[in-house]
Amino acid sequence: MKINAKDVASGAFLILLAAIGLWLNMDHTLGTARRMGPGYMPMLVFWVQLGLGALVLVLGFFSGPDPMERWKGIDWTMLIASIVVGTLVWQISPMFGEFFSSTYNGIGLGMLVGFLVICYAVGWRLLGFICAAMCIFALLLEKGGLMLAVAATILISAMAEPEHRSRPLGVLGLMIFLLAMCWWIFIKQLDIRVAVWPMQY
Amino acid sequence: MDIIGNLAHGFAVAFSFQNLLFALIGALIGTAIGVLPGIGPVATISLLLPITFGQPATTAIIMLAGIYYGAQYGGSTTAILLNLPGEISSVVTTLEGYKMARNGRAGAALATSALGSFFAGSVATVVVAASGPLLTSIALSFGPADYFSLMLLGLIISAVLAQGSIIKSIGMVVLGVALGLVGTDVQTGQQRFTFGIPELSDGISFVALAMGMFGIAEIVLNLERPEARSVLKTKVDSLWLTKEEWKRATPSVLRGTVVGSILGILPGGGASLASFGSYMMERKMSKGRHLFGQGAIEGVAGPEAANNAAAQTSFIPLLTLGIPANAVMALMVGALIIQGIQPGPRMVEAQPDLFWGLIASMWIGNVMLLIINLPMIGMWVKLLQVPYKFLYPAILVFCCIGSYSVNNNVFDVYSTVVFAVLGYMFNKLKMEPAPLLIGFVLGPMMEEHLRRAMLLSRGDITVFIERPISASMLAIAAVALLAMMLPNLRKGKEAALSG
Repeated sequence: MKINAKDVASGAFLILLAAIGLWLNMDHTLGTARRMGPGYMPMLVFWVQLGLGALVLVLGFFSGPDPMERWKGIDWTMLIASIVVGTLVWQISPMFGEFFSSTYNGIGLGMLVGFLVICYAVGWRLLGFICAAMCIFALLLEKGGLMLAVAATILISAMAEPEHRSRPLGVLGLMIFLLAMCWWIFIKQLDIRVAVWPMQY
Repeated sequence: MDIIGNLAHGFAVAFSFQNLLFALIGALIGTAIGVLPGIGPVATISLLLPITFGQPATTAIIMLAGIYYGAQYGGSTTAILLNLPGEISSVVTTLEGYKMARNGRAGAALATSALGSFFAGSVATVVVAASGPLLTSIALSFGPADYFSLMLLGLIISAVLAQGSIIKSIGMVVLGVALGLVGTDVQTGQQRFTFGIPELSDGISFVALAMGMFGIAEIVLNLERPEARSVLKTKVDSLWLTKEEWKRATPSVLRGTVVGSILGILPGGGASLASFGSYMMERKMSKGRHLFGQGAIEGVAGPEAANNAAAQTSFIPLLTLGIPANAVMALMVGALIIQGIQPGPRMVEAQPDLFWGLIASMWIGNVMLLIINLPMIGMWVKLLQVPYKFLYPAILVFCCIGSYSVNNNVFDVYSTVVFAVLGYMFNKLKMEPAPLLIGFVLGPMMEEHLRRAMLLSRGDITVFIERPISASMLAIAAVALLAMMLPNLRKGKEAALSG
């Protein structure tokens, strides 16, 4: 058999999402073809998606071979570990302080920890550090101010590139340059409404 | 002639200080990202969308358009000098352009590409100006059923022309439409698929989706590939062409302009398709076809003219019908909607400043690009010495601040992260994100037109076949789908898209 693993996985993904969509759509009134309710279009869309997903999946068994990139044992372990740890941190985050029980800070902390955990596996390192860098930005921005958030983002994102780790001075220079540029563009010119420096307690 | 008066009005708009400044900024950014491999116009425009909110709509679109066609100029520079396509649309330019540079005719190749682009851009501007009002008057007679079918046609063709399996691309389109369903139902006010999250009641943030899938996911993918940039060895000689080169390049530029203008209008078309199409044509038809592979000037002149013409004519379906032809145009729809402008046939009349101002600015932008690119070529080549490892943290920081500043809410930053992971996964599974973006933009409009059409027809589905406009749209869509099932055509498409 010439299995196209990428297509099989894509088909399964489309089917899964369509099934979830159809299930959630049970809450919405369908209406009639003449007077469509809020659930009518979703019903059509998800059934079409389900059909296409099934077609992609079935054809995927014959259109290969196109295997997926090889996953090592550690890749699997760390993926599961990251999801478990991240969810756990999110759930217990209100215990770390009032800050984490408001808006999206709790789930943000969970995502940050999850993405950092997954970086333990080399295969996930790039994606993990880049996403973690965005999460720390969101976590720090409102209380820590733009400057601190940008500095932390650059620091974490720099970990994704091995050359930066051996030459920290380059990262420092980049950080100073970008901080100045962000201040000039976003605060001086565009004047976005955001704290610049850490808030006083 | 009304068109002359309108164009005069457009030039008056485009010549205001602010609009000139932002056309220049757009052209400069466009050239820069065109030169730099690894950052394309889609990522850049989604990155800069939030910054445009504070500006008037016309200024914002003028700048974003400048980035798109500016990238076509910049992309050819590195293609010719370094055998390194800065954009997908300049892949074919490397074939003959780099050979020319190695033969010592780098200057001629650069000049051909810039002058050809300029000529094509000027012609395409006139095409947009002339066809805009014409198509608009046709589109005003469209009923809801016709609109629905037109959008369906647009979606299907964008999937057919995407890379890889058609069924998978259509699946991505449908997935995009599904993502567009999230939010408040317009007619009943009911929340759909929002999971009780108040931030989702206005729908998934367009900026977060585009930025995550195209901006952030691309950073990760670029970092995965080891960087290979050769240092410039060729010296740029005189930028002028010999008499013989003029004679050979001119017909190719003319053909490229025509091919590009036509392929640009097609839904799913755009700059890359046009440059491939023109290259194929030159290899078969031009007088210098026996020289292909050794640095034929025709292979530079045709595709370069075509990609710039297409970059401009691809605005036609957007400005007249409100239908985006490719991912960049889907971003433009997003920019317009955020500005409170519903793209569609009424735009030409309701927003004359925007329509005619944009057209005039396209021509002005082309003049600017000619100056930016030819005499200042050395500066752009120097830009290549900035390594990607210093570039990506800057892109990332811009994405963070940009996605936050849309609603001043960290929720958008987190959703960008989610879409980045999704975009990364899509790439690994060879699922094309561009059709998804177009489906996401068109989905809500399609639902509205479908509901209206069915209400008018009292629930009779045959309305889509009874109305002649709607029926012919559906017929074209069916033919396009069936044609791609034929093995021969499919192979041709794959050859054309993969170069």
